[in-house]
Amino acid sequence: MCGLAHYFEAEGFATVLVGFVREHIEAYRPPRALWLDFPMGRPLGKPNDPAYQLRVMRAAFALLEVPSGPVLEDFPDVIPVRDGRMGYALPPELVLASEDIGDVDQRLAMVETEIADLRSAYDAAVAARGRTTVGASGLAVTELANYIAAFVRGEKPRSPRKGVPPIPLLKLVVEDLQAYYTEARTQRDGIDDFELVGQWFWEETQAGQLLLCLEAVSLESDDRVLRQIVDMSLITPRFWSEGPLPGSSGSGW
Amino acid sequence: MVRLTEMPAVGRGFISQLEIPAVERTAWTEPLPAARRRVAIVSTAALSRRGEKPFSWLARDYRVIPKDERDLVMTHVAVEYDRTAWQQDLNAILPLDRLDEMAAAGKIGSVAEEHYAFMGAADPVDMEKSAREAAARMRQDGVDTVFLVPV
Repeated sequence: MCGLAHYFEAEGFATVLVGFVREHIEAYRPPRALWLDFPMGRPLGKPNDPAYQLRVMRAAFALLEVPSGPVLEDFPDVIPVRDGRMGYALPPELVLASEDIGDVDQRLAMVETEIADLRSAYDAAVAARGRTTVGASGLAVTELANYIAAFVRGEKPRSPRKGVPPIPLLKLVVEDLQAYYTEARTQRDGIDDFELVGQWFWEETQAGQLLLCLEAVSLESDDRVLRQIVDMSLITPRFWSEGPLPGSSGSGW
Repeated sequence: MVRLTEMPAVGRGFISQLEIPAVERTAWTEPLPAARRRVAIVSTAALSRRGEKPFSWLARDYRVIPKDERDLVMTHVAVEYDRTAWQQDLNAILPLDRLDEMAAAGKIGSVAEEHYAFMGAADPVDMEKSAREAAARMRQDGVDTVFLVPV
């Protein structure tokens, strides 16, 4: 982000950025920057709050009136986070082993039932918002759990999407599945609390359990890319945990 | 976001170990008066239009987002940040509607026809070529001001 600001400014554009990591902004010294003490993923502060979003933008654009720089200012508000973390983090003790997986078909059936049960809430969310973020993988919602379950069985299915290898596609499928659940839940219950929604998805749903099974399989896999997704915390949310996943190399950090 | 020292161990370790190049000189472009500015948003949320090629994990390329496009998906490599905000409201990360309102209110001159998305996980040095390409497109569009938004 800061690097891009330098490139664009050098190309003759006046740039202003908002950013989350103050230490990085201080080091990179972009021409104009507004530091936000907000959770990552929320650079405009609050969803569905146009007035608040405009406040952030006005504060950022005000930096274009400063005669010289680099200039770094702090937005006055703080949107607090729990224990210094920017997203939901799985409890370190919540780890499944491969011997915990059991009957994959049975797990798959439970996830598919859950998906069907959430369908009306998901459809209502799409209707209310006029859009959905589900679909990065290109697979239909009804295909998502099955694709993941194949990996849990130790298979490596072919990618149905041209130009996207099976494991990068797997990551997108996981994110689509999670987005389906969280779009449905936030709309159905009017929740805007990512800690609560994360806890529900990862600790209470069958889909979350299936993904913990996937993590367990990945941890023991001899596939380098599958190992990488656990070593770098690219599927399960352990980035903000107090330690890396036991058994992973921790190479991502 | 809280300071690095307040973060839990894993994230703090990762973020603090990112290499930051020494910045010796800062380019400075004099902004136009507010009412004449034509503004483009550059996001590092790895957004793309539905059906476009997903970003690779350390992608150096970028995607173009037409100003009226709202059917977007995200293929960012990282999962450590909240994704529920943008699921609820695209403006939470890509404030195209807010920009339209600022233009209507005369706070800026106009909104660019095209906006841009990069993969924030990529090394900035690797993004220079793409940034120069995007700059050329913006120049064609008459843009003079860039609002950069992370995720």
